[in-house]
Amino acid sequence: MRVDLHSAFVLHQRSYRETSLLLEIFSLRSGRVGLIAKGANRQRSAFRGALQFFRPLLLAWAGRGELATLVGAEIDGPFSALSGRALLSAFYLNELLTRVLHRDDPHPALFAAYRQALETLAQAGNEEPALRLFEKRLLEDIGYGLSLRFDVDTNAPIEPERDYYYQSDKGPWRNPPAHIDTVKVQGRTLIALAAALLHEPEVLSESKRLMRFILASHIGGRPLASRQLFN
Amino acid sequence: MAFHLLQRNRDGAQRLAEALLAAMAGVNHCERCRNLSDIPLCAICASERRDPSVLCVVENPADVQSIEQAAAFQGKYFVLIGRLSPLDGVGPEAIGIDKLKNLLNGGEVKEVIIATGATAEGEATAHYIGEVARATGLRATRIAHGIPLGGELEYVDSTTLSHAIACRRDL
Ligand SMILES: [Zn+2]
Repeated sequence: MRVDLHSAFVLHQRSYRETSLLLEIFSLRSGRVGLIAKGANRQRSAFRGALQFFRPLLLAWAGRGELATLVGAEIDGPFSALSGRALLSAFYLNELLTRVLHRDDPHPALFAAYRQALETLAQAGNEEPALRLFEKRLLEDIGYGLSLRFDVDTNAPIEPERDYYYQSDKGPWRNPPAHIDTVKVQGRTLIALAAALLHEPEVLSESKRLMRFILASHIGGRPLASRQLFN
Repeated sequence: MAFHLLQRNRDGAQRLAEALLAAMAGVNHCERCRNLSDIPLCAICASERRDPSVLCVVENPADVQSIEQAAAFQGKYFVLIGRLSPLDGVGPEAIGIDKLKNLLNGGEVKEVIIATGATAEGEATAHYIGEVARATGLRATRIAHGIPLGGELEYVDSTTLSHAIACRRDL
């Protein structure tokens, strides 16, 4: 089986044997894919300059099974290099994708959201809203979209001035039953998330807490290592 | 290589094995800078002719060797033995950030030159260490990247070139 050159990003790479690289990529048509880039660590490899994190690429591969072989890699247009907090944030996105997505499962809408998030990150100072909106898109895409408009119990519209208790993969309660695990969040944070308008510091910090709580059940037991880098 | 030695050169294999064992037993890490050293405090850290107020942070012992060969640096070093790589689970502890913090808090260091690689992981590591240095009130600088000396622009890869343009300076 052969997959022709098309849009993709490198999520992770590490050296393999003497001169090769093992890649984890996110591609428009195939989603997350594991590839081996033979000889890519050689000084003169044609792949060497192209295989960089966060850079729009065109990749082609061949083979079947767990690990296909990279057969083509080109840089796909200009990009803005990331630095500082934006760069750490981008590693966080990659870690999130490798932990949440299954291999060979296409997510074209999420792919577009990832590209958009990297572009937003390149304009310094937008890290937190960009991360929260990407997390929201990620949850929608894997079938666990947030419920942000109505009380799950009474179906009453969310009111900005009230406090709610969000239950993972279910939604906000005004009066949750005692036995369920929830995180407290203000109505206006839910409304801001629904509208994708995250400006106020308090809304941002509540959104972060809410997302962390919800994502915990989707990333498995280990905490995300890239979170440690934000102090 | 192992097969070649076993078939064709068993004496050589024996000598190589002994040399590796001796190296592993003898070589350790300097307790101050983490560079490879067979004594507790390496020759550079112990030297009174090196300037202790400038600390150059590198990823690997081989980087120390390269900078020493260039003979362009008179300060001291700190060797991370790696770089931050969150997806491989390599966090701040694994690259000796606690030890680096102690060194920076010691009062001798005034400037930290961050010479990690020009890769995304090297840049992320540089940013992280820069924040640590600034939190201690120290000056943090990053080595420049760009066109190799004697290099023609047409042979320089596009990433290096765009970086060199972004980091241009006044003439
Ligand atoms: Zn030393």
